[in-house]
Amino acid sequence: MQPALAAPTEEKIPSRRRKRLPLSFIIGGLAILAAVIYLVYANTQANAVYYMTVSELRNCTTCTTQSVRVAGVVQQGSIVRNDQQQLVTFVIAQGAQRLPVTYNGVVPDIFRPGIEVVVEGHYTGQGPFQAQNLLAKCPSKFQAATPTP
Amino acid sequence: MHFSDLGFIALILGLGCAVYTGCVAVLGAQRKNTRLVESAKRGVLAVAFFLVLASAALVVSFLSHDFGVSYVAQHSNLAMPWYFTTAAFYGGQEGSLLYWALMLSVFSAIFVVTARRVAPVLAPYVMVTLMAIETFLLIVLITVSNPFARLSVVPPDGVGLNPLLMDPGMLIHPPMLLMGYMSFSIPFAFAVAAMITGKLDSAWLRSIRRWMLASWSIQTAGLILGAWWAYHVLGWGGYWGWDPVENAALLPWLTATAFLHSTMVQERRGMLKVWNLVLVVASFTLAVFGTFEVRSGIISSVHSFAYSDIGIYFLVFLVIIIIVSTGLFLYRLPKLRPEQEFDSVVSREGIFLLNNLLLVGIAFATLWGTIFPLISAALRRETMTVGPPFYESVNGPIFIVLILAMGVGPLLAWRRTSSRALWHNLAVPALAAALCAAVLPLAGVRDIWANVGFAVCTFTAGAIFYELWRGMLVRHRHGEAYPLALYMLIKRYRQRYGGYIVHLGLVMLAVGVIGSHFFQVQQVNTLKAGQQMHVAGYTLNYIGNIEETGPGTDTVKSIVQLWKDNQYQGFIYPGRIFYQNFGNQPASQISITTIGLTDVYVLLADWNGASEATIRVFINPLTSLVWYGGALMLIGGVICWWPERRRKGIQVNSEMPGIPGVAAPLGPPATTVEQGEKQVGQDDKEIVV
Repeated sequence: MQPALAAPTEEKIPSRRRKRLPLSFIIGGLAILAAVIYLVYANTQANAVYYMTVSELRNCTTCTTQSVRVAGVVQQGSIVRNDQQQLVTFVIAQGAQRLPVTYNGVVPDIFRPGIEVVVEGHYTGQGPFQAQNLLAKCPSKFQAATPTP
Repeated sequence: MHFSDLGFIALILGLGCAVYTGCVAVLGAQRKNTRLVESAKRGVLAVAFFLVLASAALVVSFLSHDFGVSYVAQHSNLAMPWYFTTAAFYGGQEGSLLYWALMLSVFSAIFVVTARRVAPVLAPYVMVTLMAIETFLLIVLITVSNPFARLSVVPPDGVGLNPLLMDPGMLIHPPMLLMGYMSFSIPFAFAVAAMITGKLDSAWLRSIRRWMLASWSIQTAGLILGAWWAYHVLGWGGYWGWDPVENAALLPWLTATAFLHSTMVQERRGMLKVWNLVLVVASFTLAVFGTFEVRSGIISSVHSFAYSDIGIYFLVFLVIIIIVSTGLFLYRLPKLRPEQEFDSVVSREGIFLLNNLLLVGIAFATLWGTIFPLISAALRRETMTVGPPFYESVNGPIFIVLILAMGVGPLLAWRRTSSRALWHNLAVPALAAALCAAVLPLAGVRDIWANVGFAVCTFTAGAIFYELWRGMLVRHRHGEAYPLALYMLIKRYRQRYGGYIVHLGLVMLAVGVIGSHFFQVQQVNTLKAGQQMHVAGYTLNYIGNIEETGPGTDTVKSIVQLWKDNQYQGFIYPGRIFYQNFGNQPASQISITTIGLTDVYVLLADWNGASEATIRVFINPLTSLVWYGGALMLIGGVICWWPERRRKGIQVNSEMPGIPGVAAPLGPPATTVEQGEKQVGQDDKEIVV
């Protein structure tokens, strides 16, 4: 029997003279562990999205093909809707940096000037940011984050 | 003197009591002085009294519209109905912390009242731990997050509650989830007490498991209600978005589930002691981590909480918990030896280990995804995130294996199972699964993963029903009618059959998730009055918009006729509701029509005048099963938890391995014996609580 060097669980090494964890447990445990780690690793590789600031985005060379996320505040008077095509364009600002965005799809309920949004999509380096996803930061369950009118 | 002053005084007195109770409990335990321990018990009750008082003061402040209290002004207004005004109590950070402290004190009081069953050596240390947590919360409440802080100028009216919170779900989901988070403190306190005293006997195990079952049930209810609320209010057609806040609630649930399974190994075979303690401590740590994470703003979430400096308090608290429990582990480790050895992988222990590895694997993957922005920022100096696809493709397969294990597990005997016996038990469910996999493609299920998922669910459901059937059959042969047999079976073997009900609920939930994940159809159309849209066999006939005005609200609704395969189903009214103080933030009134097991989820995305609307439709097949399954899980949890009448003179603790347990000796003995013989793995002994 194998010494329980790599016990699959936190199972502590048993008492002195008795036999240790059976080999089958160790192999099975390691196999599952390896599978989980592989799943996590592979999917992290496949699904990780860069979170960028607007200035980082401007210098990004891979953003044409790679999906990135940018957060910002929707600017007053910048929202233009085209209801026929479900198209909306707006400008988000992050500090002094501004970024025009086009988005095709249904806009969240709370989308309006002044709220913080996260857009996810591609950026070619010129023209507006093409968002595939528009997430509005929803005022939480526990806090009325919206300022008093 | 305002009610808020009273509340604040109650908080301070509560803090005093908590500190006193902690000190006295330690002294009492050290000097073995029962009078001091008794005093500590009364101290716990006093803490509960003061927190009830403080909470009542806050509720009264709300109901009397005392807008001089900043928290009341921020979270309520005159137009709100009384039930939302009361619920606003936990609608913000300060109040939710107070609610948490209240629940902790109430649970501590319940512990004290029922503590007669707990070994007297343990009780003082349980109280110390609980009071330490309570002290922490009260310090935060008194210093940085005071719900009773007053404004210098009293506003005429309050801001009101956020529209998204003006939903019946608000009345029950947040309190449930917060209670769930909090309730992990009690098993944690038991774990700490056991590590300090070194007393991990079977009575301790029974108590900690019952408390954990309670926490598990509460957290299950909180999670299901949260999903239900998101589905009915947020309007994106789904119920679970793998948002950091949702993940935070799921994490302790996963480790608690693992614990509930692996304690059976400890109870039965005296193994996995350290592992079980790790799981209890992990559950509590993850619950605190969740609170820290959502309140510190450290991880970007679509839920934005108030970014106060409260996060740092929770971080310090978290670090203290981890250091203290690690220290106790190291101190106690030499004594925590397993009493027995593992024999074979194909055994009940083996499958429990598998279950634990999978659950912890899911928890790990979910935690990894949640804190990935921090990990990547630390390792690669770039902030990266992973979205729902990550969780789906990692956790999906693991869950499927877990469900498979759930079907096989109960059919395995402790220690080892012969392959013949195994096959004998598995043949029927396996056949059902194969049949399901073969038939589904004909019924239009072309997606291979969906098919695998459904087949696995069929297998496990089949295995559970087969077990139930055989159990009923045995009793039926002894002259009980089938329904009575089922009832008696559940009544007599609560843990076992309660567990099956939970499993069945999870299978239903999984079928619902697979159905709505793989087969959701969505469509958006802008319609003029009289126009129609067709979605997956459903026809929506748009008629026009109407407007309704209520107290403090203004509602726009579309009138739509719903048809399915040319059969009239009725009118639906998807709408938007505007609240006075939140005019820019209309809330959706989603119309959900359940036909069979399919939800027709209709949302008014936009409108123009009285006769034009943009309507978004989701067809969500099998989503109802998510709710039914969730409810069933909860029922099963409660059945497992439900106290059994104490019976005298039954000792089941010191049993030899391998000898089938002497099942509870009530009822016709022939039945129990026969069950023990006929069913492999039916030899669970009954725990008399």
